Order: sequence, then C-alpha cells, then structure tokens
Amino acid sequence: MSQIGSFALLLALALSTYSFLAGILALARPGPGSERLGETARRAGIATFAVVFLAAFILVISAFQDNFSIAYIFHHSNRDLPAPYKFATLWSGQEGSLPFWSLLLSAYGLVLRLRHKTDARLFAYASAIIAAVQIFFLLLLNFAAHPFALMQGELPADGAGLNPLLQYPEMVIHPPMLYLGYVGFTVPFAFALGALIMRYPGEKWIHITRRWTMVTWAFLTCGVFLGAHWAYSVLGWGGYWGWDPVENASLMPWLTGTAFLHSVMMQEKRGMLKMWNMWLIFATFWLAILGTFLTRSGIISSVHAFAQSSIGGWFKWFLVLTLVTFTFFFFKNKSHLRSEHKLESLISRESSFLFNNLLLLLACFTVLWGTWFPLISEYVQGNKVTVGPPFYNNVAIPVALLLLLLTAVGPLLAWRKTSVESLKRNFMWPALGAIAVGILMMVFGVRPWKDISYFYALMAAMLAALVGLTVTSEFIRGGRVIARHTGQNLLASMVHLFHRNTRRYGGYIVHFGVAVVIIGILGTPFNQDKEKEMGFGDKMTIGPYTLVCESYTQDDNPNYSNEWAIISVFRGDRKIETMYPERRFYKASQQPQTLPRIRSSYKEDLYLTYEGVNEATGRPIIKAHLNPLVMWIWVGVLIMIGGTVLALIPNAAPVRVTAPARIQAAPVGAGD
Amino acid sequence: MTVATLTCAMVMLCVLFYVFYLPGRLHLGPEKTRLAYLQERKEAIYENLRDLNFEHQAGKLPDQDYQSLKSSLEEEAAGVLAEMAQLERAGAAAVFSNRRKGARV
Repeated sequence: MSQIGSFALLLALALSTYSFLAGILALARPGPGSERLGETARRAGIATFAVVFLAAFILVISAFQDNFSIAYIFHHSNRDLPAPYKFATLWSGQEGSLPFWSLLLSAYGLVLRLRHKTDARLFAYASAIIAAVQIFFLLLLNFAAHPFALMQGELPADGAGLNPLLQYPEMVIHPPMLYLGYVGFTVPFAFALGALIMRYPGEKWIHITRRWTMVTWAFLTCGVFLGAHWAYSVLGWGGYWGWDPVENASLMPWLTGTAFLHSVMMQEKRGMLKMWNMWLIFATFWLAILGTFLTRSGIISSVHAFAQSSIGGWFKWFLVLTLVTFTFFFFKNKSHLRSEHKLESLISRESSFLFNNLLLLLACFTVLWGTWFPLISEYVQGNKVTVGPPFYNNVAIPVALLLLLLTAVGPLLAWRKTSVESLKRNFMWPALGAIAVGILMMVFGVRPWKDISYFYALMAAMLAALVGLTVTSEFIRGGRVIARHTGQNLLASMVHLFHRNTRRYGGYIVHFGVAVVIIGILGTPFNQDKEKEMGFGDKMTIGPYTLVCESYTQDDNPNYSNEWAIISVFRGDRKIETMYPERRFYKASQQPQTLPRIRSSYKEDLYLTYEGVNEATGRPIIKAHLNPLVMWIWVGVLIMIGGTVLALIPNAAPVRVTAPARIQAAPVGAGD
Repeated sequence: MTVATLTCAMVMLCVLFYVFYLPGRLHLGPEKTRLAYLQERKEAIYENLRDLNFEHQAGKLPDQDYQSLKSSLEEEAAGVLAEMAQLERAGAAAVFSNRRKGARV
C-alpha cells in the first residue's frame, strides 16, 4: 500500500509540474497547437486531484488497517482508537495534514478546471497559478515530510496513539473547516494574480470569484470558531480564546479576507480600490500560508501546533517567492489597476468600507506583531518576550467596537455621498433604541465609570443593539417598497426582498450574527471562578449555583483510564442537574487530559473541571467557572454562517417597475 | 511483478491516456474585448441606478440627494454608451470594408 501511496504522490508532483509549465507555455505563446497544449495542462490539473485523492485514501485505509509499518500511522493511531478518530488521523499530524492540504487544493482546482468555459483564458491563468502552489506542497510531501515513510527495524505491535487533545468529536471537523478556509483563498488569489498578469479588462474576475470567496470565508469562520469552541470544551481553562499564536494564525487571514469581501464591492460597483484589493487578496493568501508555516515549523510553541520539524525552511522560501512574484507583476502592470473614480465624500458607503478595511488591517497588524514579537525580541535581545492577552485586548477591543459602529452605520450610508438630512432620517430611531439599551444596562448595574471593562461592555451592548436595529430597519424599509408594488404583507415582502438581493440581505444577517457574537463576548468581564477540594457532601457556591460533591470514582477501558466526580447542581433548593467533570489518562500516548463539563443557558455557562486529586487527602479538586452569555457566541456564529449560506443563493429575477430614470427603466430590488 | 507495481502502472496508463488523448477540435474562446468590458460597466452602472432608485423609494435618500446622485450615474452611463456605440460603428465599418475587399478578390 505504501508503495502505491508514494507513487501517487510522485505522479501528482509530475502532473502538477506539467500542468504549470504546459499551461504557462500555452498562454505565453498563443498560436497553432497552444490550445491543445493548454487543454493537456488543464487535464493534468484534473488528474492531479485523482492521484492525490488516491494517496490520501491509502493513508486513511492504512489507519483503519492498523498498518504500523507506515511511521505516520504508528505515531498518530493505535488499535483501540475509535473509528472516527482513525479517519481524522489524516489531518492529525504534519505528514498527514499536508496531503490533506494538497487534496483540498486539488479539489478546488478540479472545480475551477471543470468550469473553465466561463472565461477560458482567465481560468487557464488561475489553473497555472494553482498548479504552482500545488507543486510546492507536493515537493514538501515527496522530499521533506513524506507520509508514507516506513518504520525501521522490528514492527511495533501497537501505535503510539492519537494526541488526547484531538480525541474530541469537534476535532474531526475543525481542521477540515480551517483547511478549507486556508486553501480556498488560493482560488481568488489565483484569479486576481491571473487577471493582473493578463491585464484583464473589467471586474468580471471578482464576479467569478465572489462565491468562492464567500464559501471560503464561511469555512474559515467555521474553522476559527470551532477551534475556539474546541479550546473551550477541551482545554479546561474556562476560556475560548487565549491569543495563542496558532489561534492568531487562523485569525489573520480571516481579518484580511473579511476586509477583501467588503472592499471588493467598491471595485465591482465603482471601479475603485483595485490596487488595494489586489494586495488584500494577496495578503490573505500569504497569511494563510504563513499560518500553515507557524503551525508546522515549530518556531512557536502552542497547544495547537504540530511538532518541531524541518519544513520551516521550505515555507520561508515559498513565502519569499510568492511575495517577489506578486510584487513583480504588481509593479509591471500597476497602470492597469488605476481607479475609475475618487472618493467623493467622507460620509459615504465607500468611506465606511475604507474605514472598515483600515480597522481590520490594524487588527491584523496587531495580531501579527503580537505573534511574531517573541521571535523578534529573541533575535534582537537574545531573550524571548512573550506578549499576553492584555496587549491584544488593548487594541482588539476598541477596534472591534469601531468595527461594530461601522457595521451599523455602513448599510445606511448611500454610495458616493450622504447628506446630513439623510443621516438624520436613517439613524434617529436606531440610535434612540441603542441609547435606550445603554440606559437599561446602567439601570441593571453596568456602571461604565467603575471599570474600563464595564465601559467596553456597555458600548458593545449599545452598538450591538444599533446593528440589530439598523438591520431590522433595512428589512422593514425594503419590505415596504416591495409591499407597495406587489400588495403582499410586510413579512412576505421582506422574504421577497431577500430573494431579490440575497448577497446584500444575507450580508445583513451576517452582520446581525456578528452583533450577537459581540453580545456573547461582552460577558467576559463578568466571569467568575472558584476552586475547592471537595469530599463527599462538600459544597461550593458560585453565582446562583450551589455545587454538592455526591461521589468520585474511576474506570478503565482499552484506550484510557479515567476518574471523575459526580456533582449535583442546585439553584436555590432545587436540584437542576448532575455534572461529571472528568480526567483521563490515555494509555498509548501516556498523556492525561481534562474533560470539562458545561451547563449552558442563554444567561451563563456553569463550567466544571476535575483538576486532579490531592495526594494527601485523596479528595478531588474541582474548579468551577461561571461565564455569562457564552452561548450567544456560538448562536451568533451559526447566524453568521446561515447568513453567508443565504447570501450564496442566486438572486430571483427582478420585477420591472416604472422608474424615473432617463437611461432605462430600472427594476426594483437589485444592487448592493 | 508485484500487485503494487501493476497498480502503479495501471494508474500511470490511465492518467496518460486522460491527459494526452484529445480527440476532436478544441476552442479556447475569444479574447475579451473593450466592448465586452464596456458592456459589463454598463450593467454595473444600471445596477447602481436600480439600487439608488430602490433606496430612494425606501425613503433612505432625500429628493435632492437622489437627483444629484442619479444625474452623476446617468452621465457615467452616457459616457459608456457613447463609447460602445463608437466601437460598434467602427466594428461594423471594419466588417463592411473586409466584405468589399473580399468581393474585389
């Protein structure tokens, strides 16, 4: 089996190299025969998918067959590992996750190459660029991190087992989501670079990649938040975001990708920010590769990172090569990217997008600086200075609040310019509503002058309310116009309105989801925690809950041994739940793992962890956290993903109504 | 020969056949023209006009703002339409001249 896998990887490298070289040659020398050469390049790209799929399939099958002659399977699986985790072995370690990266890239490439008739030349450029990226990953796989490397000497009877932290259901889907996001940004980047190289006239490449970008962004959003949820549910420290370098690595392309999704609308609608958008999509692609490098090179220590390895050098060269290539073509064809219009007013939809971009980039730069600072300090001073959450929070919180303000304001501003009268007309009611929310919060005890975190929480609540109200007002105003023309009721008209411009109104739903996520995050300043050694019948009180230790016990199975406490949870005199915080010891990997237990409600999470046993008394130590509003974060993310999915639905055909335009009758309900 | 070697050979043959066996004619399609680009611009401006019209009907824009924004979009559209008409005339003239040359030959 391993021979076939190794052969498949070599063949994939040969096919990608051919796809790139033949593709470039066919594009560079148009003439007799170039179309046939281009077609063979396209087909080689498609065949790459088939052979990379074969290699990945063999690796998974080897995990299911407990083929420990393959070193990767020995290091990341064992006989008693449950089946879903054997499947997840593919992305559990360095040498397995690289074929998975390659497989996803070839799958994206497959879709792109099958749709080549949309614009054959542009697609041919994008296909060649994707082949070039694919070559890099296949070179890594064949010469630096071979997944089919064989064990030396006597074959072991059992594998070393999967990292216990990865033995959690979400880990079966979190990495694929994140990788789909990382890899997916290669596609819009390939189209952008292709359009730049060929001096593609117009913005159709944006139209072609719009859905790719949105789908990729949705995957990355899913990946980032699944990672946060996994950290919350598995790591046992009671939080969901620790500004860990690998978390940061996934956040950076998300921030620039979000900026790109917004600013690209200015290019589509007004032919503006062409150079900016080129750099944004390049930065997003580059940061995705940088994130992969951070996770795999071993230069940073993180609970999410793979082990130290020698592939860092390969990544450094690839990052430099992509930067040089992109910069070369950018300066060569810069004249092609001149803006068609200028910013007419500081109070306009364009300026709101511009400020949104600047804030997102500021956040990205802060995260980038904080992530690299320990390495820079080590290089300059000789000692590693770690940057903690306060550094990030000092920038991220004000930036998030300003972004929330723009999220609320942006949709109400007109393209080109907005008058003061228009501002008054659109903002009065949402602003009054937001002020009312602020007053209510102060009445219920949130005093912004007591502590800066209370001030941030109050501002976040008011701005989240402003976002919710502006989104609602957009739906109601639009719905009324449709109702006037069709005679439908308001609700039906709003559904109708949504179908007329799914991208815009789906986007508003995403904005609403962001507001809900912010509501969840604003509970953080009010977190509480307590730790206590609890014998039989011992009590601990936290917030409105009283915890009573009923018992503690232990068990054993082939995969792990475990011990846990049985805790009754009371609210007042009423018993509401029994919780079982647990600690496991995995036999194959010889590693312990804490499994928190969480009772979630819309108000707060009660989060219990089994911290271990006091050796002197033999009694368990239980830590309880009370984290307000956390559930809102996960609900908000679901709304964001739902909004993105809705935005992907094609628009219904507009109904033509008489419009007072001199050029042509304009149908209602389109545009952005 | 082992099963693995045979499988590798089969995979290789299938791939080579798929990549290099190209029966029939191939056509990449024409290069994008300035006219096609202007058509896209025209559609984008019309979409902006529809959007503006809708926002005005939704009560988001005062009449004065609406008229001023509409005029500037119409001017932009007129410029694009004029260039399209010019290119179409030039194209038609080129076709006519080619036909005349063909008739003489």
